Amino acid sequence: MNFTFRRKRISGVLVVVPANERSFAEEMRNFNFPESRSLKLKEVMGYDKRRVVEPGVCVSDLAVFGLEQLFKQNLLKREEIDALLLVTQTADHFMPATSSLIQGRLHLKQDMLCLDINQACAGFVIGLMQAFMLLEQESVKKVVLVNADVLSRKASPKDRNIYPLIGDGASITIVERDVADTVIHASVKMDGSRASALTIPAGGLRLPSSPETARLEDVGDNNLRAKDHVFMDGSAIFNFVQTEVPPLIKDLLARAGVSSEAVDYFLCHQPNRFMLEKLADKMEVPYARMPNNVVEHFGNSGSVTIPTVMAYNLRERLLREQFQVCLAGFGGGLAWSAMLLRLGKLAFNQITEYK
Amino acid sequence: MKCTFKNKRISSIITVAPSQEFRFDDEYPYFKMTEAQAKRFKKMMSLDRHRIAPPDVCASDLCLFGVQQLLKAGVLKKEEISAILFISQTPDYILPPTSNVIHGKLGLGHDVICLDINQGCAGFVVGLQQAFMLLEIPAVSKVLLLTGDTGSKQMTRQNRLNYPINGDAGAATVVERCSDERTIFMDVKNDGSRHKALLIQGGGYRMPSSVETLKLREVEEGVVKCLEHVDMDGAAIFNFTMDDIPPQIEEVLAFSGDTRESIQHFFLHQPNPFIVTQMAQKMKIPQAKVPNNVVSLYGNCSSTTIPLNITLNCSEPMRTETRRVCLSGFGVGLTWASAVMDLGPLDYCKLVDYESK
Amino acid sequence: MDKPEFYQRLAEILDVEEVKPDNVLKDFDVWDSLAILSVLAMADAKYGVSVKAEEIRSVVTAEDLARLVEAKRK
Repeated sequence: MNFTFRRKRISGVLVVVPANERSFAEEMRNFNFPESRSLKLKEVMGYDKRRVVEPGVCVSDLAVFGLEQLFKQNLLKREEIDALLLVTQTADHFMPATSSLIQGRLHLKQDMLCLDINQACAGFVIGLMQAFMLLEQESVKKVVLVNADVLSRKASPKDRNIYPLIGDGASITIVERDVADTVIHASVKMDGSRASALTIPAGGLRLPSSPETARLEDVGDNNLRAKDHVFMDGSAIFNFVQTEVPPLIKDLLARAGVSSEAVDYFLCHQPNRFMLEKLADKMEVPYARMPNNVVEHFGNSGSVTIPTVMAYNLRERLLREQFQVCLAGFGGGLAWSAMLLRLGKLAFNQITEYK
Repeated sequence: MKCTFKNKRISSIITVAPSQEFRFDDEYPYFKMTEAQAKRFKKMMSLDRHRIAPPDVCASDLCLFGVQQLLKAGVLKKEEISAILFISQTPDYILPPTSNVIHGKLGLGHDVICLDINQGCAGFVVGLQQAFMLLEIPAVSKVLLLTGDTGSKQMTRQNRLNYPINGDAGAATVVERCSDERTIFMDVKNDGSRHKALLIQGGGYRMPSSVETLKLREVEEGVVKCLEHVDMDGAAIFNFTMDDIPPQIEEVLAFSGDTRESIQHFFLHQPNPFIVTQMAQKMKIPQAKVPNNVVSLYGNCSSTTIPLNITLNCSEPMRTETRRVCLSGFGVGLTWASAVMDLGPLDYCKLVDYESK
Repeated sequence: MDKPEFYQRLAEILDVEEVKPDNVLKDFDVWDSLAILSVLAMADAKYGVSVKAEEIRSVVTAEDLARLVEAKRK
């Protein structure tokens, strides 16, 4: 499905990463694999360090911390926030919505929209689209898009498919109108028939959590996982990305009349370095223009990885320059999305640590 | 947050209730009520019966059944569905989104947006806002707004505060563009500082599920619950509905240029009939314009209460006429959202019982 | 505020013949969440005041309640 937006822009990005850092080398001792094999995996996939929250830290904590930093630095005023969008799969509670909790903790005005949207790795692009749609309303001048997840808390330490790569974090993206006649093209596709490639089987109403669902089970590939834990079918996801993402981006660029060479950076969701290198190869894009270094430093934090790529790789440059970028988010749902826009000059583009 | 939308309309509504009906007169022993207490409670809250989903039926099943009936009736075609919005606080899974699961079950194409939005009683109006926004996109032809909750699974039967009033239900509302302007006026407000009025403490990431959170305790006479069940402060909810909703409704009426006289129906969310009566009195709206029988017959079904109200009380006129209505959903968050719009004629407007295969 | 009228309305809610100013509210059989709701509704409908949930939980006697409502009317 194709979307076109006009006169909208991202004005600032702040990424919040937990201060707590883990290293693959320490953690691989938990896996039922010989060390040599695990080290091979580390090298191929590009695992090294990741940031995870301390026990008990939730998405609202990361979001409140980040927003308070912006208030303190005078980069954002409370009264200016007309809508707070929270894209997360790891909400504080079943009710109320976590965006409402954040609004309450920060004493934001009542005259605003708070929305929790459940989306995974496609969530940054989808969140931006939401923000752009809201900004069509006269009363909405500034939208705060928060992407946040603490999924490490649902990864089994004995599951080598997922444990070493999950990271936690939050990003705060300010979205507003643009006086210039900018055009943004986006495309989103979904396929629920393949939803089982990335799931948490228990914890919802279909299969509520219980002592049963907390039990680690031998899932047959030398990994141990409970029904309460996140499950990812790595090869299904890999095939999905290789098959669906290149045509999506190709069609998007064709629609916009922009060549691949004219795109300064492809800022993609970061599942792991291996997948991104293969994607870049398939799309014939040099690695320098498709940064893939987020997982080795921070881990895969779902929809937060795209803003992390921006803030980590282009921190200073996005303050001074403007680039033609293609964002691409893909994963759970399954959902795949892409957006072509001019990014920069940002008022701020930071990474901060949550203690 | 005020917003307006033009050239959009609701074209079909189907509401789906579980077929299992339970009467208050049979259930009150579970609430540890004496006959006298039960009589007083029943009278004050105008309770009679409600619908409760069986253990294996989730909100998405109710919604999906509704969609299938709409497809069967020919008022919706699969290829027309451009977006699925699933508004619920009782999703099938935390991951993946339930709207994606529904997408898979319907076997739809890839050019569909699926969004799960966590909203309760304000959810129908907030969902309409989403639908109207999406319909600004040329590629979007019809939006399926699905609201559904099985609140009964977030409480025990031995809970006199919540159980007798709760109802499980789902709805599928089709929203599309139209050539008439039919401007819709809406206002949404939030106050998270009062979120404790309606809260589930455990089961999310703040307080993950554990043996402790699942332990049932009798917290007061006739109220057995665990930390993964709903905590409701009835008095705080009452304050909220009396203090905050009437001003918002006034605001929206002023915004649209309507009056109590020009609005033909006020479809208000129904926490319970007592509150709705008080609200109507306070706002000086004639009770006849405020249908107030959803709880008595089906229970308070969260965001589905408003569409169920419409299908229960107005299904015939809605098929042929256009009525000027005010919708108002309010509750958990706290969130309150009100809208003034024209409703009808609808291609479909029915309340049906769920049939499992 | 007409206090006798207030106590009479309170007596109806509490399903008793009479309520005296020094009666402790918790001592009434029927002083439960329903009764509280009825009092909130009565305060709003008959006296035009919004009594908050926390306020009603902190009053002890019928007279405390009457004073609370009266103070809000000013």
